[in-house]
Amino acid sequence: MNKSTNMKRLPLRKKRGPFLYFILPAALLVGVVLVFPIIYGFGLSFFHWPQVNDGTRSFIQFKNYLDLFKDQEFWHSLFLQLGFIFIAIPIELIIGFFVAILFNHDFPFSGFLRTLLLLPVFILPILSGLTWKLMLQPRYGAITYLLSVFGMEFPQGILSDQSLAYTAVVIQDIWRMWPFMFMILYAGITSLPKDVIEAAEIDGAGFLKKTFAITLPMLRGTITTAILLRTIDALRIFSEVFVMTGGGPGNGTMLFSLYIHKQAFEFGKLGYASAMAVILIVISLFFAFGLVRKNMDIDTM
Amino acid sequence: MMKMKKRKKIIKWIVFLSALIIVLVELFPIWIIVSSGFKRDLDIRNNNPFDFKATLKSYELVFQKSDFVPSIRNSLIVGLSSTIISLIFGSMASYGIARFRFKGRKGLSYSFLVSRMVPQIALSVPIFILFDRLSLTDTHIALILAYTSFNLPYIIWLLLPFFSSVSPSFEEAALVDGCNKRQVFWRIFLPLTAPGLVVASIFGFIMAWNEYIYALILTGNATKTAPIAVNGFMGQYAPKWGQLAASGTLILIPIVIFTLTLQKYIIKGLTAGGVKG
Repeated sequence: MNKSTNMKRLPLRKKRGPFLYFILPAALLVGVVLVFPIIYGFGLSFFHWPQVNDGTRSFIQFKNYLDLFKDQEFWHSLFLQLGFIFIAIPIELIIGFFVAILFNHDFPFSGFLRTLLLLPVFILPILSGLTWKLMLQPRYGAITYLLSVFGMEFPQGILSDQSLAYTAVVIQDIWRMWPFMFMILYAGITSLPKDVIEAAEIDGAGFLKKTFAITLPMLRGTITTAILLRTIDALRIFSEVFVMTGGGPGNGTMLFSLYIHKQAFEFGKLGYASAMAVILIVISLFFAFGLVRKNMDIDTM
Repeated sequence: MMKMKKRKKIIKWIVFLSALIIVLVELFPIWIIVSSGFKRDLDIRNNNPFDFKATLKSYELVFQKSDFVPSIRNSLIVGLSSTIISLIFGSMASYGIARFRFKGRKGLSYSFLVSRMVPQIALSVPIFILFDRLSLTDTHIALILAYTSFNLPYIIWLLLPFFSSVSPSFEEAALVDGCNKRQVFWRIFLPLTAPGLVVASIFGFIMAWNEYIYALILTGNATKTAPIAVNGFMGQYAPKWGQLAASGTLILIPIVIFTLTLQKYIIKGLTAGGVKG
């Protein structure tokens, strides 16, 4: 953009003007409730601060971090949280993609059905967790019951087996979030240039060829964005699992976020929990910057 | 030609039926929670999950013998207050970023965006200590401020594209007429962007309505929000599934209205900041 012509057209932008009046309140508020906690938490991660006895703080440098690396449960919990990224997101993407292709056809009530698919995305996370917990109860849960009709019995309950519980938690996430992938991909597909696809049709390309050789490559940007958004989301998963399994049985669904909560608010080890929080923030920021670099520009939105 | 048309019609119906089945399967868990609300706790535990004899017993208990009603009040106070604060300061900041060029403009706006992506659980310890030291735990103020921490950056980014798309000609005219820049913003610009403000505030409210982590660590009996109260029906020994489902259905109502009415803005809101295809 040519700067000088731009300024001539928009005299508002000529002077810096009272921008502080507009920016400062928000900046201060974010500073107090967001930036300060981040910095404070970073500082805390170098302290030993048990919430027992007299609760004195002592500076211990990097000991929390060194202890973390030796903590089996830390690695296990990190592994479980990242599992969502590597298991749930690809499945959500695949379901979302094929349903988006299906909805790209013309059929009755398609707009209404599309809207209904969005409900799970906005359902309260705790309500999703609790609903799945109800459906998975031994004997009277709807899913347990349906499975028993097909001869699969779980007398102890699905949520009392470690790997089944983790699977259930992941399926809960897939249920809630594949429509998110669907919406983004659907928006991407409908905005693709029609003539390219029509040209391929005239050339005799079948459904498979059209889908994998034309639609999919053209959607690459949209797909990357969707994956990044969902990855950042997956690092925030807490509430639904907290109410669904509480991290159990054993530590079968003790995600990283639940482990932070447990160390901080059950064991009262604030310094140790802060060190984990710092690691979680670093991982999140890594993906957040990726997303921002890729496709968010304040001036071209 | 006739044959082609007939084939197209058949495909159309097959696609329709598959889409219908997908939607029905997808909504099954929501049907479970809604239908369970019309059963009694006892019937849920003792019967086949598909037996159905509707009763309002669970709703009666939720309204008469639980802390659900005050929790809805708390959720409304906290959600509305944090949304209004975020909307006022967020629209100002968004305007500042959209209309002024200043040093650090990009840096500041990206910090707003990125800070929103920090997981709440990672901030729970310092946020808890902060409000504990200020003796503000179990007050509405603590929760309002905590919710503002994610609503404000979100609203700034949601409003930016709305604001940038408004032509500056109205503001220029007002400046010529002798308004100062603050007046221009409040009297001329903001009314022009009312639809964007409505969408942003609904998104902000829903995020506060759904929030659980900060509510978990910051509230006690006095300020318990609706999600905490709903989870409270799990009880210590036996879950009260009927009441849990009834109250769960009630807190789902705003979400359903929101989804059905704001459908066309939802993609924008979900990706907050414009996805380029």
